[in-house]
Amino acid sequence: MPNGVNRWISMIGCYATGIFPRPKELIAITRDYERGRIGKAELEKAFSDATLKVVEAQSSVRFSYVIDGMFRWQDPLRPFTKNLNGVKIGGLARWFNNNTFYRKPVVTGELSWKRDAGSKIADIERLPENLPWKAILPAPYTLAQLSEDNFYKDKTELAMKYARVLREQIQSLVKQGFNYIQLSDPALVYRPRAAQIPRNEVNIASEALKLAVGGVSARTCLQTFFGDFCQILPEALDFPVDDLGIDLYETDVNRLKGYKFGKGVALGLIDSRSSLVENESELVAAAKEIIKSIEGDGESAFFVCPNCDLEFLPWERALEKARVVNRVAERLGEELDG
Amino acid sequence: MDKLFPTQEIGSLAKPSWRVKGYRGERLSKEDIAEAIGWGKRLGIANLEMSAEVLYGKDSVKKRKAVLEWSAKYAIRFLESAGLDVVFDGEQWRSEMYEHLARNVDGFEFLGQVKSFDFRYFNKAACTRRPMYLRPFYVEEFVFTRDNAKKEVKVPFTGPYTIAEWTFNEYYEKRLRGKVADFRQRKFEAKRNFIFDLIAEVVRPEIGKLVDCGAKWIQIDEPAATTDQTDDEMKLFVESFNETVKGFNCTFSLHNCYSNYEVLAKYACELHNCSQLALEFANRDSTQLGTGDVRSGYKELASFEDSGFKGNYGIGVIDVHTDFVEPPQLVRDRVLHTAKIINDPKRIHVSTDCGLRTRTWETSFQKLKNMVLGAELARRTF
Repeated sequence: MPNGVNRWISMIGCYATGIFPRPKELIAITRDYERGRIGKAELEKAFSDATLKVVEAQSSVRFSYVIDGMFRWQDPLRPFTKNLNGVKIGGLARWFNNNTFYRKPVVTGELSWKRDAGSKIADIERLPENLPWKAILPAPYTLAQLSEDNFYKDKTELAMKYARVLREQIQSLVKQGFNYIQLSDPALVYRPRAAQIPRNEVNIASEALKLAVGGVSARTCLQTFFGDFCQILPEALDFPVDDLGIDLYETDVNRLKGYKFGKGVALGLIDSRSSLVENESELVAAAKEIIKSIEGDGESAFFVCPNCDLEFLPWERALEKARVVNRVAERLGEELDG
Repeated sequence: MDKLFPTQEIGSLAKPSWRVKGYRGERLSKEDIAEAIGWGKRLGIANLEMSAEVLYGKDSVKKRKAVLEWSAKYAIRFLESAGLDVVFDGEQWRSEMYEHLARNVDGFEFLGQVKSFDFRYFNKAACTRRPMYLRPFYVEEFVFTRDNAKKEVKVPFTGPYTIAEWTFNEYYEKRLRGKVADFRQRKFEAKRNFIFDLIAEVVRPEIGKLVDCGAKWIQIDEPAATTDQTDDEMKLFVESFNETVKGFNCTFSLHNCYSNYEVLAKYACELHNCSQLALEFANRDSTQLGTGDVRSGYKELASFEDSGFKGNYGIGVIDVHTDFVEPPQLVRDRVLHTAKIINDPKRIHVSTDCGLRTRTWETSFQKLKNMVLGAELARRTF
């Protein structure tokens, strides 16, 4: 672990922060499946093969935690849209400011898990025994914001309800061996037309987080992307999570530097929405500057990661970016250790 | 156009299997040939025996070109037979609105498939060099349509903002490394540089050629216009449209669909030289007959009026994502409802929401015919 001049750094790690793109051969199989040329069994086998491939890819670039690639997730909310009682699959809606789309969850009744929902969320059979596992789920605030609610009193009640059902799933994942739980919360920071999120909304998100992950016996992270992290400061520093994830391609870094964090930070330094492979030296320098400027009182971990899901890229380019994630983390570790 | 409620095409039609296979050089089945002959008779295509001769012929560059021309001829006649007042060729010469342009311009490299939704993907390119004009990419298609259409022709043109939005911007982002430290600012400036080079090097030269060849009306297709709804991005989109159309002796319109119209409406007045906004509404609307509250899908049209837009509208009255064939009475009510909102029926053109490429020709034909009948019913009430 790096120590020396930066005594407050407990570790520098790296990992993925969302869905991996489907490899070329899996894309071909999914197309064949959609056109009725192959059956479910072949599709499932292709998903499993691709999962092994992505696990191997993360292991080879020494990610601190590995994910299963989330290849079966048709969109970042789908396991919830599909496996919760009380939710229907709605029409296509744009995924924030991207040229990709998700199916809107339409809430029509009391939320509860359908039977065997857990197996649709993570493919634990293909995760390696010798590496720590990470699970990535949507945060309750984002789930509520992106749903059409025809049942609960308001979005606050819906967010709290989502938080409760999330907690059930998170506890089950931890029991199965997941060491790290990331909740993705793009809706919390995505503000295309308003400068700032209202403070009561930040508090709702915080309360929902408490319900979802408070006291959970795994490392937890709230990952934000597609918007400026600074707007949820200073409240985010008290969120009931170990780490806070920041999209550095959307955040005013100079404003960030005024805060003392005192908790772990996932630095979204690699741009999943650009195919240009980053200059490692530039990223190392940027990361060092941020780390030094937000030093808190205690010891904290830092993770180098993509700013959001790598699935915005084709598979090969995503792998190249994963290698950059690792090399930046390693160089950062070396340069800060001493 | 003097006629009230003129009807117009918006974009692509599906490509018949004989067009797809014929262009790929694949052998056509009996069913493919029968489909070509059947539609040919139905549309009254002249020299039909020549079309069959082409389709049975051996694969060659000449044959592929002939296949394109025949499918364009079919599509033009298809739109005219349905009774439309403004037509094109259903984009039969184009593989797809994005890929066709990107493959005909220097500076783009296709990186592979990325997810659009579910099991749907699109082939995404990166801009790796400054975009340069290689060859005309719409001109030949336009000239053929001009020479074969009996009705007024409108040329769909994929807009520069959408091209940039759908392309990885490697070249310009890399150029700003070391010059702009802030990542956010760097990406925005790189996008801006990309768009304006694309306009100067590719888009305007092609528009110039189209105008020289007699194009009177070009529709700029910008489905990505409101993807990023920040003020900076919306202003960039407006600026890109204005720069695209500046100074040409031609009518321009804008087509945008499946977007946030409240946002677009705020900026619509700033579009110069935009004679018509062709918008998608039927997809958002109910299928009940009547005007007034029942026409919930058209409520955002008022935002454009409130913002002071003075141009015409291409009103989407046909949903292109469903096989439901809108009855003429529903089309009539949609048209009459919008005429009330706008309070000037002369500013209304009648359209499909978007291109009909995901529907079969049979469904598309029924939908278009009913669109024409519905416009006529609406016309009779004035």
